[in-house]
Amino acid sequence: MRITLDIAKRMLDAGMAQAQKMGKACSIAIVDQNGWLVALHRMEGAIIPSADIARDKAWTAAVFKLPSFDISKFGDPSTPGFGLNAQNWNDRLTTIAGGLPIENGSEVIGGVGVSGGTPEEDVIICQATMAVIHL
Amino acid sequence: MKEITLEMAKKALEASERWAKDIAGFPCSTAIVDKAGAVLAAHRMDGAAMATTDIAIEKAWSAVAFKVPTLMMSRWLDPRNVGELLGDHAFGMVGRGKGRLCFIPGGIPITDDDGEVIGGIGNSGVPSGVGDISDTSVSQAGLSALYD
Repeated sequence: MRITLDIAKRMLDAGMAQAQKMGKACSIAIVDQNGWLVALHRMEGAIIPSADIARDKAWTAAVFKLPSFDISKFGDPSTPGFGLNAQNWNDRLTTIAGGLPIENGSEVIGGVGVSGGTPEEDVIICQATMAVIHL
Repeated sequence: MKEITLEMAKKALEASERWAKDIAGFPCSTAIVDKAGAVLAAHRMDGAAMATTDIAIEKAWSAVAFKVPTLMMSRWLDPRNVGELLGDHAFGMVGRGKGRLCFIPGGIPITDDDGEVIGGIGNSGVPSGVGDISDTSVSQAGLSALYD
């Protein structure tokens, strides 16, 4: 299974519906398994930088195959990945919650990123988009 | 039409994708930006090259920034136009705009009823020179859907 534009659009619609229910204006980005953008939507009222932040979260989740918040553990001196956060080797890397890998079984097929609410709200909207994958 | 909503952007993208698929026959990326040049919606069709999404966004941004189609901007850099249009001074613009300025045809500004620029549409992935098939014509298909 791969992330097609059709699946990406349905995921965006599911996320937007959840955001509207929560009364939040946000941006949602869907990337493929290599982190390349497939689809990006910014709702009316969502701030301009939210589009890029959503895309960064989706990229981080897809390429590290981890929720974007889990990358912040690499900033913990007791973990082997300590220092990764400070390397700044790719300006897309973000440790803010709101990016989730899209999983099909044990395989990561893409990433979704949301920006606009609080990080906790962004994660809830992310999870809502996953309903399309896990029917 | 005073400003572009996400709903309208999606409608334009759908129209341009239908045109790209049925008439041009090339998978491509299309993007809509608002009057600030900020992305409202961007789609990459299945099979389109990965880099096309960013180029589509940059074309739409450039069209808004200069308020002209990027087809016109490509003419500024055409060596055959030296001494006319903007002349050789135009080369100084290459790489400006934090590297975002794109002089490849395919970006078109979207105007309201008074002629004010309220956004832009950009397309990338369609080779030009095949008759009427080009990035610009795919963008035009999306643009005309906005005025239906």
